[in-house]
Amino acid sequence: MDNLVLILAEVVSALLCFTLVRFMMKPYQYMGESRYIGLPLGFAFLGMSYIFMGLALYFETSLFIEEEIKWLQLFTQAYAFAFLAVTYYFSKKGSEHSRLRWRITFAGLIFAAVASYLVVFEHPMFGLPSYKTVDEYFRFFNIICVLYITIHTLRSHASKPDPKTIWVPLSYLLLGFSQYSYLICSLDESFSAFIGAHILRLAGLLVFLFVAYQTFYGRRNMRREEEILNEEASA
Amino acid sequence: MKKLLRRDKLKIYGDLLFILNIETKKGKVILTHVQLKANVPFDRLKTYLSELKELGFIQDEPSLVLTERGKQYLREYEAVLDFMKRMGLTYE
Repeated sequence: MDNLVLILAEVVSALLCFTLVRFMMKPYQYMGESRYIGLPLGFAFLGMSYIFMGLALYFETSLFIEEEIKWLQLFTQAYAFAFLAVTYYFSKKGSEHSRLRWRITFAGLIFAAVASYLVVFEHPMFGLPSYKTVDEYFRFFNIICVLYITIHTLRSHASKPDPKTIWVPLSYLLLGFSQYSYLICSLDESFSAFIGAHILRLAGLLVFLFVAYQTFYGRRNMRREEEILNEEASA
Repeated sequence: MKKLLRRDKLKIYGDLLFILNIETKKGKVILTHVQLKANVPFDRLKTYLSELKELGFIQDEPSLVLTERGKQYLREYEAVLDFMKRMGLTYE
């Protein structure tokens, strides 16, 4: 397949992610809770990973830099899903003790990210394992993270069923299936899995964008207010 | 017994603006009603209200009402709460 189409898909995915960062930043801005910073960070890392992939495709002929960029993409994407999963893990925990644990986890993730980026450019003496093998392990790790987030969001939806809250688990599921398709593609070099992975990823990100636009630019939702006023009027 | 979590100032501001908006729509704002609904001690309520006034979110002349800036903040705050609900994040 023409590289240009693939590069375009990476650029579009990155643009979608960076647009989403703007919306994902709002819970942190309005609530002032550091545990929500993982949400914009996760999408920013995801966007960066697509940029790295696009660059790796662009520099495919210059072998010395392509490999490094592919490794960067691998690490960045894994950290993106890790940040998102950790944010969901700590989202229900507002106590001081949990805040401390969040800060430690967050610092640990940042430290691990910096250390792994350094490893990419300064290879250790023993060398790195093959990219393909690590790619498969990382895809598996990404699937686990997305699966955890999907279950978390589905449970949240099930506790208070609302048609509006089903879209986000769906989009995480699409991202998860996309990772699974990449894994299949890596294992048996299936072309349809490769194309499917790109389509699923774009669909997932578009659903996120739809949710964000519907919330912030759709009809103003003052249902909480209406419900309270109605309750008090009937009492 | 379920332990009540500490609310952040930003959440208290959001809750207070929300309650004040409802009370204004119902008629004259009675601070005791606001205090009971917001679940804050009366002295702290006074402090929060003066802080909200300093921020330009409310005005107390001729009566306690939300300013345009306050209404805008409340709309965005409600949208953010809705977004968090949609994202599967709960804010306690």
